[in-house]
Amino acid sequence: MTKPPRRFSVKRRLLFMLLATVALAWLLTVLMSYRDARRQVDALLDAHLAQSAALLAAQLGAEFHEGNEGEEEREEIDADDLTHLHQYSRQVVFQIWQDGRRLLLHSANAPRERLAAQEKGFSDAVHGDERWRVFSLWIGPGQPLIQVGERHEVRDRIVGSIAEHLLQPLLIALPGLAVVIWFGVTRALTPLTALSAQVMQRDPENLTPLEASEAPVEVAPLVESLNRLFARVRASLDNERRFTADAAHELRTPLAALKTQAQVARAATTDSERQRALDNVIVASDRAAHLVEQLLTLARLEPGRPVSPWQRCELRAVAAATVAELAPLARRKNIELELDPGGPTPVDGNPELLRILLRNLIDNAVRYSPTGSVIRLAVTPERTRVALAVTDQGPGLASEEREKVWQRFYRILGSGETGSGLGLSIVKRIADVHQAAVSLDEGDQGKGLRVTVIFRYPEPA
Amino acid sequence: MRLLLVEDDLLLGDGIQAGLGQAGFAVDWVRDGVAGELALKTEPYAAVILDLGLPRLTGLELLGRLRAAGNQAPVLILTARDAIADRVKGLDSGADDYLVKPFDLHELAARLRALIRRARGEPVPVMRIGALELDAAAHRVSFEGHPVELSPREFALLNELMLHAGRVLSREQLERQLYAWGEEVESNAIEVHIHHLRRKLQPELIRTIRGVGYLLPREPHD
Repeated sequence: MTKPPRRFSVKRRLLFMLLATVALAWLLTVLMSYRDARRQVDALLDAHLAQSAALLAAQLGAEFHEGNEGEEEREEIDADDLTHLHQYSRQVVFQIWQDGRRLLLHSANAPRERLAAQEKGFSDAVHGDERWRVFSLWIGPGQPLIQVGERHEVRDRIVGSIAEHLLQPLLIALPGLAVVIWFGVTRALTPLTALSAQVMQRDPENLTPLEASEAPVEVAPLVESLNRLFARVRASLDNERRFTADAAHELRTPLAALKTQAQVARAATTDSERQRALDNVIVASDRAAHLVEQLLTLARLEPGRPVSPWQRCELRAVAAATVAELAPLARRKNIELELDPGGPTPVDGNPELLRILLRNLIDNAVRYSPTGSVIRLAVTPERTRVALAVTDQGPGLASEEREKVWQRFYRILGSGETGSGLGLSIVKRIADVHQAAVSLDEGDQGKGLRVTVIFRYPEPA
Repeated sequence: MRLLLVEDDLLLGDGIQAGLGQAGFAVDWVRDGVAGELALKTEPYAAVILDLGLPRLTGLELLGRLRAAGNQAPVLILTARDAIADRVKGLDSGADDYLVKPFDLHELAARLRALIRRARGEPVPVMRIGALELDAAAHRVSFEGHPVELSPREFALLNELMLHAGRVLSREQLERQLYAWGEEVESNAIEVHIHHLRRKLQPELIRTIRGVGYLLPREPHD
């Protein structure tokens, strides 16, 4: 057994798509919130840095003005003294540089080198493996430089915490959502599952319509299509069954004749009796063979089967060849076959099938024509079509019979003819294959029968 | 025994006519239902072989009319349709037997003989009258235990006489049972066959009733 192709599951796909969409939307929200939070936190903490620097400047500026030049170098100030500034002030460090070069004062947690090279406004700097945000400010002309700094890590932590709070519900909600979707989709797919079970349990012979009353809107068209398909399959099966049955029955009579004549030959007591029966055996075999041949032709003309080759044919030439082929048969009944002369008659089709069509038409005409009559063939090119007409001088067809003769095995009873009853069915099939129209009407002066096949004039090549 | 064959297929009809002729039947053959009806109105047939798919009047229609007219001749249907429903329909329409094509000629002849026997109330295949024995199926006649060689026509004639033993059969009646239409009948054909039968069997076995016909007595000496 070959491995079946990997199939996708509607359930799994829906689940995946819904979860992915929800997760993505959520993540996008988180990302945007994170960026927004980052901006806000940056702005807020920058403001705090600036404010701290301003406070320091104000305080120190006053001290410097009082003359305390702050001779002690590198005095350390516990940043805790500035706790009233901000809850994050513990993280905030400052340095006060005389002329920007000599460290006058700094908070305990501040690094020893200058926080930032820049001497005005906000800047970013790296000390060791830590990134810093620094605000620099000169207290005044000729006065020390104040630098207030803060580790970026602090801001990262705040923003990270915000993002974390945003993400947490997603982690809880996604599995919950998955469960809800799973159950929802399973429920929604129940009619499909039921339909599948209904189809699976079906007998192949059972082509009755599926129960569709409870199917949801999405499944109803599938059920309807299936039911339409069932109807078509049933019709075609019925047709085939009928045909097979008819064909078997039609074969029985020639076989019965064959067997009977053979038995007569075997029991014959005189040579002439035996000879006559044996001749009849041969005629009966020919007839059975002809019927089988016609059946096979019809089987080959199954609708939907591609026909090849398909080419430009000269219909009159095909007609002429068929007339030549069947002339001896006609001559035996002293019937004359005539083909009207005329211009070119191009037709697109299969030459072999066209020949079979013509042979059946002529054969039929010969069968039903009286001895000494004439069968006329005309192939007429017209602007948009090519008309083929076969006219005989036989008994013709009553109008109510004209529809029936296209049916398989329909035979005009009492004609004494031993045709297969398939000739016109074959003609019709071949005409259908060539998209040609077939019609029956009276022959010349209302006598006999005229079969007309109208082909489409081919597109110029 | 004279039969009517209603069959529209030329080769099959020809074969049945010839084959049953070989079996000692005289067969009239018509090719459509209307001709069949006409023939049945004018001739007494021992049995009818009826095809169902007939022109002008179908086999079942013909059968219906035949029975409606009170004709009791046994009818054997020949058909290409073997579905049980078809068989039931044929038998219910008044047919006595049924053969599906293709069939065996011997079987057809045997069934016809059986139908004719049954119709005449002679269920025994071998008829015995005195020392005379006739086996219709085997086409054998024996007298006093010794086999007797008879031509098909002589056999058919003896068969008729034995079937109607004790009754006088006219020359015309015998001709009608022995010869189909179109068969050339010499004016003294029956006399000649009777003469041969008497010679081959026993001169006084078949009696001539002057001006009426021939009689085979039920008891040899009554």
